[in-house]
Parts: sequence; C-alpha cells; structure tokens
Amino acid sequence: MSATRLIARDELRLMVRNRVAVIAFTLLVLLTLVAVLSSWAHQRGNAELRARHQHVAEHAFDAQPDRHPHRVVHYGHFIFRPLGRLAAFDPGVDAFTGSSMFLEGHRQNTANFGDVRQSSLLVRFGQLTPAFVLQVVAPLLLIFLGYGALARETERGTMRLLMLQGASRGQVVRGKLLALGGVALLAGLPAMIGFVAIAGQPGALALPMAIIAIGYAAYLALWVVLILLVSASVRRSRDALLALVALWAVAVVLLPRVAPDLASAAVPLQNRLQTDVAIARDLRRMGDSHNPDDPHFAAFKQSVLKRYGVKQVEDLPVNYKGLLALEGERLTSELFDRYAGKSYAAQDRQNALVEGVGVLSPAIALRSLSMAAAGTDFAGHRRFLEQAEAYRYALVQRLNRMQAEAVSYSDDTATDADADRRKRVAADNWGQMPDFTYRAPSGAALAAGALPGLVIVLGWLAVAGLLLVRASRRLGERR
Amino acid sequence: MTKDTPAPILIDNLVLAYGQHRVLDGLSLQVPAGSITALLGGNGAGKSTTLAALLGFVRAQSGTVLVAGVDPGMDPDAARRRIAYLPENVALYEHLTAAENADYLLALSEERKERRIITDAFAAAGLQERAWDQRLGGFSKGMRQKVAIAVALLREVPVLLLDEPTSGLDPRATVDFNALVAAVRDRGTAVLMVTHDLLSAADVADRIGFLEAGRIVEEVAASGPERFDVRALHARFAVAAERLAA
Repeated sequence: MSATRLIARDELRLMVRNRVAVIAFTLLVLLTLVAVLSSWAHQRGNAELRARHQHVAEHAFDAQPDRHPHRVVHYGHFIFRPLGRLAAFDPGVDAFTGSSMFLEGHRQNTANFGDVRQSSLLVRFGQLTPAFVLQVVAPLLLIFLGYGALARETERGTMRLLMLQGASRGQVVRGKLLALGGVALLAGLPAMIGFVAIAGQPGALALPMAIIAIGYAAYLALWVVLILLVSASVRRSRDALLALVALWAVAVVLLPRVAPDLASAAVPLQNRLQTDVAIARDLRRMGDSHNPDDPHFAAFKQSVLKRYGVKQVEDLPVNYKGLLALEGERLTSELFDRYAGKSYAAQDRQNALVEGVGVLSPAIALRSLSMAAAGTDFAGHRRFLEQAEAYRYALVQRLNRMQAEAVSYSDDTATDADADRRKRVAADNWGQMPDFTYRAPSGAALAAGALPGLVIVLGWLAVAGLLLVRASRRLGERR
Repeated sequence: MTKDTPAPILIDNLVLAYGQHRVLDGLSLQVPAGSITALLGGNGAGKSTTLAALLGFVRAQSGTVLVAGVDPGMDPDAARRRIAYLPENVALYEHLTAAENADYLLALSEERKERRIITDAFAAAGLQERAWDQRLGGFSKGMRQKVAIAVALLREVPVLLLDEPTSGLDPRATVDFNALVAAVRDRGTAVLMVTHDLLSAADVADRIGFLEAGRIVEEVAASGPERFDVRALHARFAVAAERLAA
C-alpha cells in the first residue's frame, strides 16, 4: 500500500475511533435523508395542488355561460406554474416568487401565493432541501472532521514522524486529501442519490443534472482543499478550527444574505404601489377611448373608417367597440411591457451584483449554479411571467376580436330589453380557447445558465489547490 | 568496512545559521558503519541542529552533509529513508495501540514486519506485554519512549540518530537501552547520539565529541576494557559547558 493510502487510511481510522465524528456524520446522513424525503413530498404535494387548481380554473373558465366577450375578458383566468422535476432538489426562489397568476384584461398581474406568504416565518430561514444540506451543513461537518488533519500533526510533532518514515510532504497532503475527500464523497452521496431518485430518468435534463452533480462535487472538493490549506498554514488545530468556522460563517452564512441587501440598496426597485401609480398616470396620458375628443383615439377612429372606406362606425363590417378594445389592450400591454422590462432590467442588475459577490463567496456561486440548473432561479420565474403575459395578451385579444366579429356594433350599443341576450356569445366558445401550457426550458438552456457559477466554483478550487501546494512546501519546517 | 568505504554519517566543515546567529560553525564529523558516536555539549551548542541537518529539516549555508551517500539538503526524502530517528520528545499516535503505531510507521517506511517481530522488539525495549495492544492515550512518557525505541530499532537502515534517548528512562531501562543500541551497532549501523547523559555516553559510545559553539572542540575514543575515564570526561564536559555559558 502506498504512503498516500496508508496516511488516508489512518486519518479515516482516527475519524472512526472519534465518536463525535461518527455521530456528526450519521446526523448529516439522516438530515440529508429527511431533506430528500421532505423535499420530494413537498414537491409532489405542490405539483398535485397546482395541477388540481389549474384543472379547476380551466373547468370554471370553460363552464361560463353565454356571455359578452368583454365580460369574459374581465372574468379572467387563473394559471399555475408547474414545478420542474429538479425543483425538489433546489426550489430556489419558488417559495418567494409565487406560483399562480390571475390573468385579465387591461392589467398585468404578477405571481401570487408563494410558500413564504402561506407558511410560517420559518420558511424564510431556508427550507430543508438536499441543496441546503450540501451548501450549508456539509461544509461545516467537513470542517469539524478535517480542521486538524495537518495542524494536529504539526502540533503534536507527528508531521516530522511521518516524514522521517520517508513520506514526502506531497504524500502526507495527498493522503489527507484522499481521506477527507472520501468523507465528502460519502457526505454528498445520499443527497445525490436522492436527487437522481427525485428527478427520475434524466432524459432531456441529463445535462443540467450533470452540471449540478459536478458543481456540488467541486464545491465539496473546494471545502476539502480549503480545510487542508488552513490546517497546513497554522501551527495549532484550535487556530485552524477558528479560522475555518469564521470562513464558513462569512462565505456561507453572511455573504449570501448580505449580497441581496447590498444589491437592493445599489439598484432600488419600485414597489407595487409606486408602479401602479406610475402606470395609472401614463394610462391617463395615453388617452381615453370613451372620449370623442381624445386625440389618439380620434385619430385611430379616422384610420379605421379610412381603412374600411366608410363614413361612420355604424357602417363598419365589424364591431368598432371590439376594435377599440383591441387597440386599447395593445396600448396598455405595451405600457405594461415597458414597466415590466424596466423592472426586469433592474432585477437583472441586482442579480448581476449578487453574482459579482459570488466571486468572493463560492456558496453564492454554487447557489446560482444550482438554481439555474434546476430552473428555479429568477430567470425561471421570469420565463413563467413572460409566457403568462404572452398567453394573457393572446387570450384577451382573441376575446376582443370575438367581440369585433361576433357581436354587432348595433347590438353592442343597444339598450333595449333583449339587448343583453343579443350581445352574448355562445358558451361553447370558451372551451375552444387554448389552455396555458408552460414551455419548460431545454436542458441545454438550463445548463448554459448554470455555467458562470460552475466556472467560479472551479476557479476557486484551482486557486485553493495552488495555495495548498504552496503551503504544503513548508510542512514540517521549523516556524 | 574498508578504509575507502565512506562513513554513513559524514559532515564536513558545515556552516548553518538561523538569521545572523551561526549555530554550526565549521562542524566536521564522521560516524563509520558499526560504531557509536556521542555528541556532548551544553544547551545551544548545536547538537539538535546537527541532527536536523542530517534529517534534512534545515539547509546548510556551506559545507557537506551526507547520509549513506545522500545529501539531505538536496533529497531529504531519500536521506530519511536511510535513517531511524529517536527524538527526545517522542511523538506517536494516541488513537493507535502500540502495535498499530509500529505497524503503521513501518508500513510507511516500506519495512513492514510480522507481529511476532514487532512484539519481540517491544519486549526487547522493555515494554510490558499488556501494553502492546493498548492505545497510547494512557501511556507514560517512558512507555511511549519504549515504543519509539522499538520502532527505531526495527528499521533496517544504515543510520540511527538518537536525541537524548535516555531522558525519561529509569536506570534499569537505561542499561537495557544501551544494550539495545550496542546490538544495533554490532549489526553494522552507524549510530549518532546527542546527549547530556555523560554516563550513558561513556557506557555505550565508541567515540565522544565535545561540541562547543557549533564545532567539535575535542574528541575522545574509547580504548581498553575500561573504555572512558568518566571523571576526566566529566571535567572536560563541565569546562566546555562553562565556556559556552560564559
């Protein structure tokens, strides 16, 4: 057996004979299993709940009676964001952003009913997921098992003893790496097995799943190298433990929580009330379709009359009120899109700032990687909002077109006793409206979104590895 | 060994300094195979630094150091594979038993031995049988030293370095230890011991060198059945120590 393997075996023997280490490791495995099971149950429950609500909402929409199309526009429609298969591993921002939207005419609503708003405040501290266990708890376990790996040998004089038996510095460090790396592998394995079990057959998600596996492996490997780097750089185990716990607290706990606050302060985001007031102000400036003197809608009317070659709206072959609704929705949607674009741009800048801090904290980089590959990051949320808005716009304009084509202008403006009946469109039309179908991103797109985080984690690993090589050259020297 | 065979321990005109302080200042020393040399000197005379230079833990400014033909400054790993070393403060693994310590350390030096040979060495070093399979956590300093002595003696290498080897041993154990060292010498090993223990040095060494200010100022060889005149040695040693202190 090589010196490297002998040293690794002895390090593992020390861990096994240390009851605290065995208990801590067992607790981590149990915690991982609980996280896997609870995430799986939570995801399954959520997916079923959303599917059931979606079905109920679609049924309610389809079951409307004969109605005026514009009433259907205001009746609205609920849609629910389906959860991706990888969301059970890392639910990302899902608990905070909400998962359902109410779609209606003249308004662009945002998502509602996130877990955070429906559950206890404890959810804000972080749901127990396999990703949380690997990102936060596993490094702490590795620190407690490995902080003394090299410092203990230096402190007790056994470093020289090893070298006097002919073991080189490189063999000593590689032996410790092998032992702690083996523990990291065992610590990460239950979460990864659970991850594969939850995600099922990889299929199109093979690439993002591979990125997640590589990312977490690199992250745990990074902690192994960092632990040995600190352990090689100090003379006492106690100093190594203090330095590593401080590093963990800053990199894993503090920075990931401070970074979003810094980003929010640097790029302030308008709240919902401010946005609503601004949109209402712009809507007033845009014009009033009911005011015959409104310059925009007067010009619109003239262009319609000219296009159809008629003198008055009553002579149009289509319902002018329907055309007005189409034009009004086009204008308001453009306005909403502009505000949404501004908001997205600001949130993109915030996210870029947070990811910039990720250069300082591999935990942030890993979190970005993990959420991006699982499709639960802000980009995934935005993808849902954009698809929902496209669906809402198409649905409302379809109803407006139905008003223009299926309801005559004379009926639409009539006020006699039977007018209400004549304005209605047959109920079987509602069932023919297309349902909302969320188009999940491709595996390649998810993987591409995760690459920046992976590059940062691998960069950290490379730099830490070089520093460890440098630090190991001084092992056993008189200091 | 013929006259042409180089000594396993060879130091020539060695100069070694920590910063501005010259610890070894032109030290020259040879320990032929099958002989024991004891280096005596007061605190700070350079005894431990001499061993550190042989073990490749410190680099010399000038001069030559060779361990069985290998320069420890150039290739410390190769030099260490040719050395068995017994430090003054024995460092062993407390989570391992005495037998596991020996097995682990011998395996690292690629000199794994059967358990019977290891336990024979323990017995020869004076370690009681009930301690062989006990973890070192509860061992006294003397017991740990016996384990380390056994491991050092089990190494089949051309050079044995001993740093204050009898400190912490009772008189009976010291006599037994000296007998063990003599047995190692007799199988052709070059033994260098640095010590304050004049009696022990006089008992076992073939040559005694007095180290002062980083160089050997006087060297005495054993002769005749009475070997050394301990009184005369003590007088020289005391004078050397006083000079150093002054």
